[in-house]
Amino acid sequence: MVFNSYTFIIFLAVILVLHNLPFSWTAKKVNLLLASYLFYALWNPPFILLLWLSTVVDFYMARLISIEQRPTRRKLLLTVSLVLNLGMLSYFKYGGFLLENFTALLSAVGIVFQAAKPDIILPVGISFYTFVTLSYTLDVYRRKCAPEPSFLNFALFVTYFPHLVAGPIVRPEDLIPQFKTPRRATVEQLSWGLFLLSLGLFMKVTIADGLLAETADLIFGLPFPVQTLDAWTGVLAFSGQIFCDFAGYSTCAIGVSLCLGFVLPDNFRYPYAAIGFSDFWRRWHITLSTWLRDYLYIPLGGNQHGSVRTYVNLMITMLLGGLWHGASWTFVVWGALHGLFLCVERFWRDWSARRRAKTAELVVNEPLIAQASIIRPLTFSNSFTKFGLALLTLFLVNVTWVFFRAPTFNGAMLLLLSMFGVIPNGAPMLTNLAILTVGIITVLLIACHWLMRDSSLVALSKRLPWWVLSIAWVSMLILVILTQKSSGSFIYFQF
Amino acid sequence: MNTPNYPKAAWLALALALTFVVGWEFYWRHENYDLSYNDDESLWASKRKLIYQSSPARPVLIGSSRIKFDLDLDTWKRITGEKPIQLSIVGTSPRPILTDLGNDPNFKGMLLVDVTEGLFFTPTGSFPEKEAVKRVKAYPNWSLSQQISFQLNRVLESNLLFLDDQRLALNPLLTKLPIPSRPGAWGGPKFPDAFSVNEFDRQTKMTDAFVADTSLQNKVKGVWQDIGAHSPKKAVSGPMLVDILNATKQAVDQIRARGGEVIFIRTPSDGPMYEIEKQAFPRALYWDRLLAHTQTPGIYFSDYPALTRFTCPEWSHLTPKDAIRFTQDLIPVVEQKMGRSLQKRTSATASKTNSSPL
Repeated sequence: MVFNSYTFIIFLAVILVLHNLPFSWTAKKVNLLLASYLFYALWNPPFILLLWLSTVVDFYMARLISIEQRPTRRKLLLTVSLVLNLGMLSYFKYGGFLLENFTALLSAVGIVFQAAKPDIILPVGISFYTFVTLSYTLDVYRRKCAPEPSFLNFALFVTYFPHLVAGPIVRPEDLIPQFKTPRRATVEQLSWGLFLLSLGLFMKVTIADGLLAETADLIFGLPFPVQTLDAWTGVLAFSGQIFCDFAGYSTCAIGVSLCLGFVLPDNFRYPYAAIGFSDFWRRWHITLSTWLRDYLYIPLGGNQHGSVRTYVNLMITMLLGGLWHGASWTFVVWGALHGLFLCVERFWRDWSARRRAKTAELVVNEPLIAQASIIRPLTFSNSFTKFGLALLTLFLVNVTWVFFRAPTFNGAMLLLLSMFGVIPNGAPMLTNLAILTVGIITVLLIACHWLMRDSSLVALSKRLPWWVLSIAWVSMLILVILTQKSSGSFIYFQF
Repeated sequence: MNTPNYPKAAWLALALALTFVVGWEFYWRHENYDLSYNDDESLWASKRKLIYQSSPARPVLIGSSRIKFDLDLDTWKRITGEKPIQLSIVGTSPRPILTDLGNDPNFKGMLLVDVTEGLFFTPTGSFPEKEAVKRVKAYPNWSLSQQISFQLNRVLESNLLFLDDQRLALNPLLTKLPIPSRPGAWGGPKFPDAFSVNEFDRQTKMTDAFVADTSLQNKVKGVWQDIGAHSPKKAVSGPMLVDILNATKQAVDQIRARGGEVIFIRTPSDGPMYEIEKQAFPRALYWDRLLAHTQTPGIYFSDYPALTRFTCPEWSHLTPKDAIRFTQDLIPVVEQKMGRSLQKRTSATASKTNSSPL
């Protein structure tokens, strides 16, 4: 079930009524769990078995891990959980990809091998709930948290419908404690939750699907070069589309959860105002980037084993992060580019820190020479400089989006060459209306992110008169109603 | 800093949104718009689901817009007792759907394939196939949730005129803005709103306003000229045409091997459009070759005086009134091709009296 469907409106209404009836807390949690299974089953009922398997195995493995004292046995139990979770993910998500590359490898060495095309359907949300259950088992293994004694609480933690299929990727400490005591949304929480749901739907239905998707699909689907303006418009359209689609989903999820009285973690913080790539990943898909940091980058050694290892760890993390998004080499390149930009940024930061330190030494030892020869190191105190760097970051992010969205490398290269004017006589494909629409939305998106980069929606809502909030709210609702795209799937479901 | 009053804001937003919906609906009713169902993936999927009930009296129809306008489903039902299953998609080649039906081991029914040469004879994977491919691919993933939403949507669409994504949604409304066109870029055809409506059974009909207004008809003629100007100047030929014919034959053979039946049909076109079609796709090289290559019966409208007596007001489609007569006259031809009667016994005599001789 998707949030932008009539089915979901009915579903949510029923859940809200049930959650506010005078049932026991356990009964309410059972309701939520059953509703979550229903929410999932309405896509493809058989895949619910995978969800159950993952839930049951991780619940019992974590318990066994917690009571086991022998390190080898603990590792073995952890391995069982990892093999099951990552095995399911690998089979369903990467089975076809691995077979395809294996076939290509064999043919490269002259062995003719024609494998039957695997007919594997990717279960919705498997990448998300696998990471949720993995974080729990790993936390118990590291003794960061105790295993949850209640199966109901654990099953609800894994399956809770607002985050189940596309995040935010919750950690045990985010949600399990909230299931321990009875919760019901206050009128304020309910209203704010509905506001967030409306905002998320507006981002998804009106902006992503209604105004940007067509342009992005057209440009990325063309097998021939286009004019530079068209290429950039297509890429900017996708840039806005993917943000509004994914952040829209997260906003809906957070809003729906709040309507029930549960708080989910933030997943986006105005990423298109990021200054640098490390800042970008602190703002984009925050729950994934922190997951990768805590369960991959740090266990690999993080930045504790010298510069070279740090760069290698960064690259491994981002390459796997890219692969997490999809079984295709284009996603790997996308991850590699992000890894590369993170490495360059880190190198530059270390280098300028060393340079500053040297300068300070010079100033202390030979102040006259220093005053005469030193160029002041670039500082970010100036707003224009900051904004320029944010635009530079966004520019590079957009370049990486080409690989993320393009169906093939050839398609990506064709578009990049068109973007940078290397192919001069591309075709004009977009109408003035499409260019204008994408242009206006891009400018508004950047302005909004820049103005809000150090603030939050809650803080803004507190500064505004209630009727202004109401006008903004109704404007979004009207635009959602007018757009009339009721059941377009979210891009991140495929991941 | 204000204390946020979210509940108050929520109530005002709700009241304003409801007021807008009521006002918006009344506005379009006042503008004399006709109710039209969204001819989207879900509506198509709901019909695709029915193909296993197909029989000679209840054929599956695939093609482009012509058969959606020209074959009147209610008239067919009145005569045969069964309503055809309409899977044709406007502006689209039926070949991806033909392939899909060929590959479906459970489809053993009757198939009428509408051939609009400019759309049918296009290379595999080309633009005219895009929408058909999208729907064929989406159908197996038509989830329970989408099916429930579809039923809810049906109730809303049956009562609210403004829920019309072809004419009254945000995007079509934006295209009405006076923004000059960009040299060299084509935004696609722009039909007048009053051209047609789509019914729940996927029947497309010209509106009364369109039938009565020659200036609107001229606008649509202009749209055809516009499309022609942006279409490939040369029809497919050589190996590409052979590929199309082979792929068509394969699908037809698959259906026939299971006991199904296939008939190709060329519905009427008129005026300069028909002349251009005849020039670009000479009958002997395309239509006749298609029938010969696939060993399949076909009905070319100009071979039958009863099917030739209609005028397409905008050169390409029949009016609703003519669609009724055309359907009445088509059924005996289909019967003749199939060598059996399709008419329901009780009303056979009555319907025969309405149809004209071949």
